[in-house]
Amino acid sequence: MVPLPDSNISPQRIDLTGRRILVVEDDRMNARIISSILRPGGFVTQEADSGEAALALYRDFQPDLILLDVVMPGINGYETCRQLKTDPAAAGIPVIFITAKNQPEDIVAGLEAGGVDYVVKPFQPLEMLARIRTHLQLRALLEDQTHLIADLSKANAAKNHFLGIAAHDLRNPLTSIRGLSEFMLEGSTGELTEDQRAMLRSVYSATQSMLELLGELLDISIIESGEMRLDLTPTNFADIVHDAVFLNGITAARKQMKITCRPFKPSRPLLIDARKIREVIDNLLSNAIKFSPPGTTITVELSEDGNQQTISVQDQGPGIPPDEMNMLFQSFGKTSARPTGGEKSTGLGLAICRKIVEAHGGTVSAANRENGGADFRATLTAPDHAV
Amino acid sequence: MQFDGTVLIVDDEPHIRKYIGLILRKLGTPTIVEAANGEEALVAFDQHQPDLVLMDVNMPVMDGLQALERLNVDHPEALVVMLTSLATRNVVERCLELGAVNFVRKDTPKETMTKVLSETIAEHFAPD
Repeated sequence: MVPLPDSNISPQRIDLTGRRILVVEDDRMNARIISSILRPGGFVTQEADSGEAALALYRDFQPDLILLDVVMPGINGYETCRQLKTDPAAAGIPVIFITAKNQPEDIVAGLEAGGVDYVVKPFQPLEMLARIRTHLQLRALLEDQTHLIADLSKANAAKNHFLGIAAHDLRNPLTSIRGLSEFMLEGSTGELTEDQRAMLRSVYSATQSMLELLGELLDISIIESGEMRLDLTPTNFADIVHDAVFLNGITAARKQMKITCRPFKPSRPLLIDARKIREVIDNLLSNAIKFSPPGTTITVELSEDGNQQTISVQDQGPGIPPDEMNMLFQSFGKTSARPTGGEKSTGLGLAICRKIVEAHGGTVSAANRENGGADFRATLTAPDHAV
Repeated sequence: MQFDGTVLIVDDEPHIRKYIGLILRKLGTPTIVEAANGEEALVAFDQHQPDLVLMDVNMPVMDGLQALERLNVDHPEALVVMLTSLATRNVVERCLELGAVNFVRKDTPKETMTKVLSETIAEHFAPD
């Protein structure tokens, strides 16, 4: 047999040399022909003359792919495949049926038995090789992806661990800097000149915003490492919203802004971690304040639909650029929007909101309003049974 | 509030001891004793019999939880408030289990921290 040219079917050019192929075929002549086509392609082959023989030896041979005849004495190819797929270690091995049967129902039966492809006898060597390469490459890519995902989640866990340590260790010195500068500002160390006072105020406020950033970094690292636990208690959603609206209203007033919220009485309480949900609402409100121009109004709307309760925070800011919409709820997903009053933004707040709401089985979303401005929503579901 | 008792501040970072000390001085004229880890704290406790212990959790040599456990055995009457920079539920539960009367995160704003300490003191040192 003349060596076959490299089929060169994939732009990725994964090296398939040495991949192991189990050829299951009761006709020894056929089996040998198939092997002689495969070996020059760099594949290692092993032959089995029945389904039973294949099932007995695949664990030792550890094939990367199986070529499986359908009509054989003993258990047929479909049944062999079905049995093979019950072994989790073998479930990922691609099986290609070799069959003289080429009716659609035969092909479907093969695919239903767990095969990935079929080659119709009498087969074309080039076509068979091309199909084998395709499936081996797909498998190799899948394995790469699986490893990559495992590596990435390890790296992400390491990042969270690091963030946690960094934030934790930075917190103490910053706490002292903030606290001690406060004492000096209060005159504990004697009278200060106006210059000294101004500098200390800068030290104090810079430290304060670093502590806030660290707090958010710690939140996100705790949440992402899966350690967030919810303290669920029956809570009137409207109560926390109205509290948050009142307190954030004071901050808003400093920017000549107003937060309006029509009174709302939900028909039933939600089973939520009130402190964490309050954090979400505070975040949505403080974002609306940060990113809206002075003098505008923020409208908070509460609504109830069946067992779902939704808060909608609508601002009169610049809205969200459509191409940045998908970054909003990601960690560090800072968009091009800038706070309008020199406030700080870490890009973590909305990611934290999303994690908290999703941990409650709820959803968050954002959209632009027709008349300008953004509309951020969080929806929570009340339990079906009474609480 | 006028608190003139003896307070033992245990933290491995001197600036934190300084800061906490300043907060306590707002509550009266306490005598302040310092220790940099759990082991030093146990020695200082025996020596000064403080009315109140403010103890960090993460410290070298002997951490705050170990020291709290020992104090609870040797001096069950000791009044301990734990200070930490990370309040996970595990740590908080462990502290309270081991006999701490309260728990404050160190980065709590100064006013709130002052309030928590003054309330704890008021609760345990009610004027006769």
